[in-house]
Amino acid sequence: MYDDEYLEKIRREKEKWEKKFKDVKERDVKFETDSGIPVKRLYTPLDVKTNYIEDIGFPGQPPYTRGPYPTMYRGRIWTMRLFSGHGTPEETNERWKFLYEHGETGFSAAVDALTFNGIDPSNADGAPEVGTSGVPLYCIDSLFALTEDVPIDKISVALVVEPFTSAPVSAMYYNMAKMKGYDLTQLMGTTQNDILTMTVGYIPYKNVPPKHLLDLACDFIEWTVPMGNVPKWHPINFTGYNYREGGIDAVQELAFVFASACSHIDNIVDRGWKVDDFVNRLAFHLSAHKDFFEEIAKYRAARRIWAKLMRDRYEVEDQKSVQFRFHVQTAGSSLTAQLPKVNIIRTAIQALEATIGGCQSLHTNSFDEAICLPSKEAALIALRTQQIISDETRIANTVDPMAGSYYVEWLTDEIEERVWNYMDKIEKVGSIDKALSTGWLYKEMRDAFHKRQKKMETGEEITLGVNKYPVPYDEVTDVFRTNEEAMKIEIERIEKLKKRRDNNKLEEILDELRKVCEREENVMPVVMKATKEGATVGEICDIYREIWGIWDPPLAI
Amino acid sequence: MQQTKKIRVLMSKPGIDGHWRGGIVVSRALRDAGMELIFGGFQNITQIVESAVHEDVDIIGLSIHSGAHLAYTKQLIDKLQEKGLKGDFMILVGGVIPAKDFSTLKEMGVAGVFGPGTMTQDIVDFIHKNIETK
Repeated sequence: MYDDEYLEKIRREKEKWEKKFKDVKERDVKFETDSGIPVKRLYTPLDVKTNYIEDIGFPGQPPYTRGPYPTMYRGRIWTMRLFSGHGTPEETNERWKFLYEHGETGFSAAVDALTFNGIDPSNADGAPEVGTSGVPLYCIDSLFALTEDVPIDKISVALVVEPFTSAPVSAMYYNMAKMKGYDLTQLMGTTQNDILTMTVGYIPYKNVPPKHLLDLACDFIEWTVPMGNVPKWHPINFTGYNYREGGIDAVQELAFVFASACSHIDNIVDRGWKVDDFVNRLAFHLSAHKDFFEEIAKYRAARRIWAKLMRDRYEVEDQKSVQFRFHVQTAGSSLTAQLPKVNIIRTAIQALEATIGGCQSLHTNSFDEAICLPSKEAALIALRTQQIISDETRIANTVDPMAGSYYVEWLTDEIEERVWNYMDKIEKVGSIDKALSTGWLYKEMRDAFHKRQKKMETGEEITLGVNKYPVPYDEVTDVFRTNEEAMKIEIERIEKLKKRRDNNKLEEILDELRKVCEREENVMPVVMKATKEGATVGEICDIYREIWGIWDPPLAI
Repeated sequence: MQQTKKIRVLMSKPGIDGHWRGGIVVSRALRDAGMELIFGGFQNITQIVESAVHEDVDIIGLSIHSGAHLAYTKQLIDKLQEKGLKGDFMILVGGVIPAKDFSTLKEMGVAGVFGPGTMTQDIVDFIHKNIETK
């Protein structure tokens, strides 16, 4: 950034300064980032190796380090999208409308474990979990209840389901939207559809092998975007957040999502499409974790890596294909069941990382995160946290305000380099489904779990209230309980539907789905037909299981 | 000197929720502390009881993050009662368990409850202090 002569002058001055203060004592701790990158006492222009125009540049222009859009938050504030769902679709609808009235600008459906795993509520194995960790969305009627009086043409909805159930749940949503008179070609929203979330983020319950999960994810991308059925939809959101929560670091988080994205792109290109036909709708979902500057540098590095990947590996032509856009969730695993109100502060700091880092949409956790699903009060505080940042702090006045910080620019470069190296490591194992089926990713996750736990137990990573100034669990905070009747309500909802639907016609459609699965063709057209006729998510997934078999993931202890 | 029998632990995830970090981290810590660890993974209540008997374990550990900890624990206790096995195993429950539920779980017959942020050494210490091996 400076000419050689001036840099030489800085170098001489720095040497003098180092000599003068070399005996000044520092605290006896490891100065390193959360990801273990050693951090120096001071950064100067000597540490910034990048060329401004080529490597940093201007927002809305390659390499997009400073942001995908030229005006960023001066044009439009990020979407405030709280991940929310509990009990029944009706109760979730009520919560959504409450948050909408208080200024929320996007919805995100947190679904329960049965919806994630394609299990109907009549299955005793999962019945006690109906609605306990998210909203149950088992049939099309639930989607009508979820979106009642919600203007889904004005506010976008994110469906947080993964490849195993992304087709049936999204198809139910699309059929509902069509029946309500919305034009699918104009419909905005997201389906998370992230293969790694329900394989290494959470372990899958009776899902199918990774090869088929990857195909299901790509079927959905193909049908929505390049085939033009729902072209404005984000058909995938590569969710580094979920595995970061397990304990992998910021570098691994980016490498996991990019390696996964490449496997999806390759799969769809193999089907005969061009990268430019679909890649600009792919989205990302990252974490905002504990290390303030590292997270900001991570977002900046992510934008630059994506631009280089698209330019150099995929040689895209459309500039929109190069823009990295992402949703952020603050780190749930950083929050404590001890002194839960302190979580409000943690979340606020993490939300600042996300917004200073230029996210397009943000979920802020509720302070009761480590205790239960969010209460109404806790969810409102989480929303207000974002609104304080957008409306009171003035951080949105300018684009990428951390650019030019010697430390942040250095750290951005450092993270980028480490991500490329780690991606090479993943790609040596093979495509993302191979990294899963061989168990390689499970070992990486296992190692990360233990590394983080060790840091917590030794006190190397501090969590107030837990391993520093420990206090007992909080018994004061109200525990938000989900509806105990949810299982009964959902079983009845499906029974009613089964009486109403044309079961013979549905059987024929499900037979067609069997054949499509056997031939490994795109499942979406038949899943659209089946869910319209009232097929449940469990019925669709049972056919996947029947044809492709159940996968037992190679967990490592 | 008398050889003490190793403590045998079944670590199980009742239900279908896939949060797996807690179960793995605790399993490794117990193994490192010299216990025999049987990682059951996803098991329904019938399977848990069958494994516990078949593997002749001293401890059944339930890892639950779904919010359904009261329902699943009650199912397990009822099943043990039904089979005449109540009291044969030390039952431990860990996961996202609100402190307000600790006493309810203990009244059901759970020996120890471990919420978020528990240090694994505390679980090891608890077991050594309270266990009576078979």
